[in-house]
Amino acid sequence: MTALQFPMPAYNTLIVAAGVAAVGFAAGVVGSLALLRKRPLAGDAAAHATLVGVAAAFLATGRRDLPTLLAGALVSAVAGLAALVAVRRLTRTRDDAATALVIGVSFGAGVALLSGSSARGLPGSAGLEQFLLGHTAALAARDALLLAGVSCLAVLLVAAAFKEALAVAFDEAFAAATGWPVAWIDVALVALVAVMVVVGLPAAGAVLVTALVVIPPVAARQWTDQAATMLLLAGIVGLLAALAGVAVSAAVPGLPTGPLVVLAAAALCALSFVVAPQRGWLARRMAERAVRRQWLRGLALELCLRSAEAGPGGCAPDEVERRLTGDAARGRRAVRAAWDELVRSRTVVPAPGGGGRWQLSTSGHAAALERRRRIGDWQSIIEAAPEAARESLSIDLPAPEAVLDPELLKTLRRGKG
Amino acid sequence: MGGTFGEQIAIHGWALATAAVVSAACAVVGTLLVVRRVSLLGDAIGHAVLPGIAVAVLAGGRPGGPLVFAGAVAAALATVWLTRTLHEGLAVDEDAASGVVFTSLFAAGVVIISLAGPRIDIDPSCVLYGILELVPFDTVRVAGAAVPRAFLGAAIVLGGLVAAAALSWKFIVFAAFDPAAARALGIPVGAVATGTLAATALATVAGFEAVGAVLVVAMLVVPAAAAELLVRRLHHVALLAVAIAVAGACAGYIAAWHWNTNAAGMIAVVLGIEYVAAAVLAPEDGAVSQAVSRLRLAWRVACEDRLAALWRAEEGATAAQSVTVSRTGMLDVLAGWWLRRDGSIEAGADGERLSGRGRRDAEMVVRSHRLWEAWLGRHVALPLDHLHPPAEWIEHYLGAEVRGRIEAELGRRESDPHGRDIPPEA
Repeated sequence: MTALQFPMPAYNTLIVAAGVAAVGFAAGVVGSLALLRKRPLAGDAAAHATLVGVAAAFLATGRRDLPTLLAGALVSAVAGLAALVAVRRLTRTRDDAATALVIGVSFGAGVALLSGSSARGLPGSAGLEQFLLGHTAALAARDALLLAGVSCLAVLLVAAAFKEALAVAFDEAFAAATGWPVAWIDVALVALVAVMVVVGLPAAGAVLVTALVVIPPVAARQWTDQAATMLLLAGIVGLLAALAGVAVSAAVPGLPTGPLVVLAAAALCALSFVVAPQRGWLARRMAERAVRRQWLRGLALELCLRSAEAGPGGCAPDEVERRLTGDAARGRRAVRAAWDELVRSRTVVPAPGGGGRWQLSTSGHAAALERRRRIGDWQSIIEAAPEAARESLSIDLPAPEAVLDPELLKTLRRGKG
Repeated sequence: MGGTFGEQIAIHGWALATAAVVSAACAVVGTLLVVRRVSLLGDAIGHAVLPGIAVAVLAGGRPGGPLVFAGAVAAALATVWLTRTLHEGLAVDEDAASGVVFTSLFAAGVVIISLAGPRIDIDPSCVLYGILELVPFDTVRVAGAAVPRAFLGAAIVLGGLVAAAALSWKFIVFAAFDPAAARALGIPVGAVATGTLAATALATVAGFEAVGAVLVVAMLVVPAAAAELLVRRLHHVALLAVAIAVAGACAGYIAAWHWNTNAAGMIAVVLGIEYVAAAVLAPEDGAVSQAVSRLRLAWRVACEDRLAALWRAEEGATAAQSVTVSRTGMLDVLAGWWLRRDGSIEAGADGERLSGRGRRDAEMVVRSHRLWEAWLGRHVALPLDHLHPPAEWIEHYLGAEVRGRIEAELGRRESDPHGRDIPPEA
């Protein structure tokens, strides 16, 4: 058997990897719509409910081929969602408890059925446990093709109904007024999530398959404000995570695929949180630093202007640095960097007297005067017409924390509240 | 297993006792989660404690020991902190943030356990659905008796939770239902929230060995959700939730024994059945009592409509006005039969006629109807032919007192806007 099938594993592994990658892509795309619709966890109840269907399909048919089991999973996923809707509509139980209830009870029923059938020693029932945490090594090529086919259909469906889905996600009232069936589009979205959860089972398992729908969209959201780009990026993140999971679980025997796929997705997500432009942590830190430097440059300009007004001879950088760090309680490095920028842009130039003293250049002098004029202007506007000032200042102002002494800020805020 | 009958009984007894204690602890915490509307926090923590437990066991802790409890609480706090950081710091939708964090942590826990393999005293399947059946075999000696470690851990957690809840009950209630007012009165709302969180982690770990990480969510949420349908006051909900949980644990364990299947799964199923029973049978909000009260109302409406129709027909026979009596639903036929048997309707010369009592009842319905039409006609700019439908509905709900007040306001009118007489009060 091994001799005959020797060339096969490579082919099989490739097809399985491709199939699981397609599932990862489609889950990312569908999950993005769910995230935009603010229902990121829509699939969790369905995911936990799939286990009952897998076990019941096996017990009812005695077969354990993937299409049969996944058909059972789909039926019970839909039943789980229906139970969720029934609990929400017919009882006083609130949404969060209803979701947790369906998750816990349906998963318990699945575990009881699975464990009951393996305790009876039914042939083939032992392998069903791979649906708990995912196990792609056992997938056959034609199963993988089935998963890939369903995933492609899901992506095509999203592409076809993209405009409608976005309208519902971003402006429900507008979509309803346009005459689109908002409720049905929502039902279709949840159904699509349920389908993705079901085809994601072999890769991620019932407990973790939600992550395939949740994590890639969150990662993609960090990189873009465009919905279409986000869907595509989420698909790519899901695809990469699925490939990484399949590869590692193939290389390290005994590791279930699901947690590996999820960890890969989580790593990409964490990376996005750190390095994504604009929204990422690094970008935010750098923007904050730029604001702080700009503010410090302004303070330095004001100091130089005052010293020029007091008399010729310029001012010493040490003095500026001491005053700024003292007044603003800010880091010496930030102050020095701000001063260096002033020097580099020739806003301050060495004073003719020398002795390491500096003075404002002509353009620097103009800039300092302009800055002072502007601040005075705003100050009088804020005092004379606070309402008008509030309107005009509706632009991206820096966070007060970036520039004000924290203690002072606390006192000011307390005084206001 | 094996052993004598007595040993068997002792083993099952310990497993049953452990299940009951774990369920009770989860039910107490679950009540807080459900009323604070953070049930999914229980789900998230149930998953996310896994890496904490795994690392603690790798560091030499024993399941059920203090190190494992500490690891789990740390993991729970980390979950909430990470979720909040993603939500507030990076503007990720709150549900999505929670979904990212708890699935990632759970995945990390599974990978740690799988990689550690034989070096770690956790069975990977136990992670998912517990091994309640094996709990009695891992014992410690307490006062000379062999007590299962899991039972001991769960009993200590239960005792601690009950004591903490009893001591801070007023704070808990206040913080759950009106956090703003509670904060204004100086109640440490944040501490109560953190305490709830730590309690959830403790109950989760207590239940971890017995029922597994995922099924803990059923034990946390279902008893409280069921109890909430049955009673209103929070301490009643908590006590009833504990009772439901213990009953579910016992019945589930016995059912699992009978059908030879996983005990934790069966306990979750029995809890689900208990919830459905509560939803169906609850005295006020249950499906049955709602259906009964709807049916009772429909029955009264059918009887009153029937009497009123007959009264109008008799009025029409004298005043030569047309009336329509053409309702032949199942309920109307039954109502007619009942009214004849009851003596409100009697057989007349050509068909049916009202008896004295039937006429009095019918007059009150018609009086309500016509008074309402008159009141609407005066106060609401409705065309004449639009007065009938609302009156047809409200005639069943107006009592003598409201009729009297409407009449007083209308100033003793004797006819409705259609010019028909309003019968006097009985």
